[in-house]
Amino acid sequence: MNDKREFSWSVIFIWIGLFSIGLVAIYSATQGPVAEFLPSYILDNFTRQVTWIAISIVVLIGIQFVSPRTFQEGAYIFYGIGLILMVITIFFGVEVSGSRSWLRVGPFNVQVGEVMKAATILAAASYLTSRRNVSAENLKTALVTVVIFLVPVILLLAQNEAGVGIVYLGLLPVVLFWSGLPYGISLLMISPALIGYFTVLDVRLGIITALVITIFIFFLQRRKWLTVTSLVFGALVIIGAEVALHQVLQPHQRARIEAFANPSLDPLGSGWNVIQAKTAIGSGGLHGKGFMEGTQTQLRFLPEQWTDFIFCVVGEEFGFIGAGIMLVLYTLLFMRLLHMASTHKHPFAQLVIISVTFLYFVHFVINIGSATALLPIIGIPLPFISYGGSAFLTNTIMLAICLNLDFNKRSLSIYR
Amino acid sequence: MSNQSNSNQVKTSIRVLQGIILFGFIVMIIRVFQLQIIDYETYSPISMQNSLRMEVLQPARGLILDRNGTILVENQPIYSITITPSKFQMDKLPLLSQILQIDEEIVQERIRAAQAYSWQRTSRLFTEVPFEVFSAIQENAWQLPGISHQLESKRHYPTAVQAPHIFGYLREASPEEYRADERIRLGDRIGKSGLERSYENFLRGEIGTEYVRVNAFGQSLGTYEGAGLNVTPIRGADLITSIDAETQALAEKIMAGKRGGLVAMDPQTGGVIAMVSAPQYDLSKLAGRMDADYWRSLNTDPNTPLYNRAISSRQPPGSTFKPFMGLVGIEMGLVTPQTQIYNPGFYLRGRRYNDLADPGYYDLELAIAKSSNTYFFWIMDRIASRGRLNEWAELINDFGIGPLNNIDLPAERSGIIPDSTYMNRTFGERRWGIGDLMSLGIGQGMVSASPLQMAVATSTLANGGYKVQPHVVSGIRNGDGSIDYTQPVLEKISWVRDEDVETLKKGMFRVITEGGARWRSLIPGIDMAGKTGTSQNPHGENHGWFIAYAPMDNPQIAIAVLTENTGFGSQSAAPIASLIIEQYLTGEVNRQHVLDYVLYDFPGQLISITQETDD
Repeated sequence: MNDKREFSWSVIFIWIGLFSIGLVAIYSATQGPVAEFLPSYILDNFTRQVTWIAISIVVLIGIQFVSPRTFQEGAYIFYGIGLILMVITIFFGVEVSGSRSWLRVGPFNVQVGEVMKAATILAAASYLTSRRNVSAENLKTALVTVVIFLVPVILLLAQNEAGVGIVYLGLLPVVLFWSGLPYGISLLMISPALIGYFTVLDVRLGIITALVITIFIFFLQRRKWLTVTSLVFGALVIIGAEVALHQVLQPHQRARIEAFANPSLDPLGSGWNVIQAKTAIGSGGLHGKGFMEGTQTQLRFLPEQWTDFIFCVVGEEFGFIGAGIMLVLYTLLFMRLLHMASTHKHPFAQLVIISVTFLYFVHFVINIGSATALLPIIGIPLPFISYGGSAFLTNTIMLAICLNLDFNKRSLSIYR
Repeated sequence: MSNQSNSNQVKTSIRVLQGIILFGFIVMIIRVFQLQIIDYETYSPISMQNSLRMEVLQPARGLILDRNGTILVENQPIYSITITPSKFQMDKLPLLSQILQIDEEIVQERIRAAQAYSWQRTSRLFTEVPFEVFSAIQENAWQLPGISHQLESKRHYPTAVQAPHIFGYLREASPEEYRADERIRLGDRIGKSGLERSYENFLRGEIGTEYVRVNAFGQSLGTYEGAGLNVTPIRGADLITSIDAETQALAEKIMAGKRGGLVAMDPQTGGVIAMVSAPQYDLSKLAGRMDADYWRSLNTDPNTPLYNRAISSRQPPGSTFKPFMGLVGIEMGLVTPQTQIYNPGFYLRGRRYNDLADPGYYDLELAIAKSSNTYFFWIMDRIASRGRLNEWAELINDFGIGPLNNIDLPAERSGIIPDSTYMNRTFGERRWGIGDLMSLGIGQGMVSASPLQMAVATSTLANGGYKVQPHVVSGIRNGDGSIDYTQPVLEKISWVRDEDVETLKKGMFRVITEGGARWRSLIPGIDMAGKTGTSQNPHGENHGWFIAYAPMDNPQIAIAVLTENTGFGSQSAAPIASLIIEQYLTGEVNRQHVLDYVLYDFPGQLISITQETDD
């Protein structure tokens, strides 16, 4: 192990690369010819993003001077403050398009749910490193962790921000897995997502998935009760998904899921976004239509093209080359961060870095998956690229913490 | 747990997580590769279609001009509001209704109709809206998604010339029509009658296409010049007709309120100078947004205004048939111009055939001048008795009476010149005899012709034995300004001799100067040759006929007039023809008393005359 204090500049360069792509895309999506079709408050998005990036740079540098112990010691406090702010938001927040998730702080509107991600990660990491490893026999630690994650999710649901909540749930299995949760149970945890996904596509696919997962779990754990649980669980998910799809979900939610499974059913209605997003990306071809030349982008065929559908802008205007570079940058970032975690000796730092990595990864998968119609459309931003100050700041803070922990490997090790 | 095992576990777990991330990356990159590289050909056109809308540029339909270049039919812009139902938001209905200044309920009804037609296709919501409404829609397009506007045109008739039977009307192409011709699109209006129909392919021009950049709301953002996809429309060719606008207008004015038809043509070329079928209808009510009630009334009117009497009616030509009988009689060797036939006041052949002409000896000239029946019964008697009916029919056909003359208008009908085949078909084999044929000699009975046929035949008398090809269009002016002229076809009828035509001319001159027609048909300063006729009508009042040409020494106009249920041709058709000739040759009408008579006293004087033969 290299114990030399070394700042991970490569991560900084990737970070700069990503937000530069973001700035270019946001500029095109809001300042290009499309500007004439946009309401005026959207037109300021670019300058606002620049401002937030400037602030974030300051914060990133600032965090490097904080003692690494602070993150672990202050984790519960941050978490607590975050929860209080979330509750305040529910009652006093600013309502934007149906969700009350913004808190006005001076001149800025802050999305507390975003900032809460960092606090939750720190709290969960802190809690888990203070316990013995999670095991199949002792699930109490795991359950507490689940609660740490579920509280903000419930508050997010109260704010009508279900999309962000999904990110937390996506992160949970990874955190538990890292903390020692056996493979089989980890797989069981993510099985509802997989089974549900395939059930929406086709019930038969859902059943096959459930069976395959069960077989995997059997071979991984070789425990009868777990296998049976998996089978029952899978069946429940399939039945639940079918019932939800046909009975429980609101018509617009159902339409969205149906549109994902078969967009051509209603091309001008719920299928519209899926079709237009795919068309934007697909028509980009190898090298794209050029900066501010994307017809889908500039003629306003894409919804939320500065946030949730920003990948379409990149794909349309910069083609496979642009989109590919972006995907590679993300993958390099994730790999770099995983390497950081693997070379770290302190479990808290490891867990924080892993969590941050997968938080980004979940955003990455859901956002690009939505844009490319691999997943139903779930409106969450692409880290560092999408417009959104709170998200950018939070993501940067988390990256800064990772860099700090990495940089201070040795000093943290002492307290091991 | 030991350090070592912990370290191993970390390594394994990191591998798993790296695997997950790598898997995610591979799935994403494959998906993006699939969309952007493999399916590029699928999505690129979709995005193209998304952002570009092909708009059809309608070419300007060709104009119709008279012989002096006066525009008779032109195009007038009309403004239409269109809707694409799938893009329209129903909550914008009050705003739309307010801008259109039309009741919400009516607008809603129209929107429903458009929805019923197609949700995706653009259809006309309202046509011929005032310009103010049109521009208000233009200004508010941004808040009315799915609503657009369209500049269209309709036919406009700027002069006094109505001539619905010449010009014809346009209507939307039927499914069969637009399926049969790829240049016709759904909703296109094409010529359904008259010149509009027969010259549809010339008048239509070629549609152009323009690609317009649009945004997701369907708002137009201007022309897209890229890729050279735009095609400029080619305007339709103009029709230069042989119509004389002033003569035509006068003819229409005279024929208003009457029933009948007339055709005036240049006997040297066959070009139609004026053509009227009365009653007429108002083309302007059928242009643009069709007046449905008016259309219904036209179709149910017992006077059948849509029927073109000038080229489609079949009436016995009466005594106007006699000059041609004379020529045929000479050619068949039955008479010479000098042959004198005695008229005792009747002709006997199986029964007594009356002759109102004074008793005495008649040669051809006198027989024409006095319209003696006996002379022509005598000829017909010999034709019938010697079984030369078919020979006779063929010779008559040479004048254009009987067969189709192929004028450049739709719905022309042939006349009837009975031959043995016809007689056999009508009466049965051997079940007809001389008695059935006698009246043919004086243009009654089964003989029937249209004003067009009589005008063509009269032209032959006027030009000294040449058969003309009747036509309305004398030239087609192409988009580039070049003009393709119709070549007049003059075909000498080989057996017609000039001296015989001369004899007829003298007789026909005396019809005008000595006959019953002289009171109202003499034109001071113009020598005219004419022949009156009365067509026996077993169903009611007889029909009046008149054929004429003028000036006699250098004929420039030949005319045939038929007025239905007006009795003697000398009192009905002849004055009308004289006025038209006067107008055409002198450019004005000086005989106000004749015009007044024709316009105001005409019907009253012509009731309840029942006579077997004519004047």
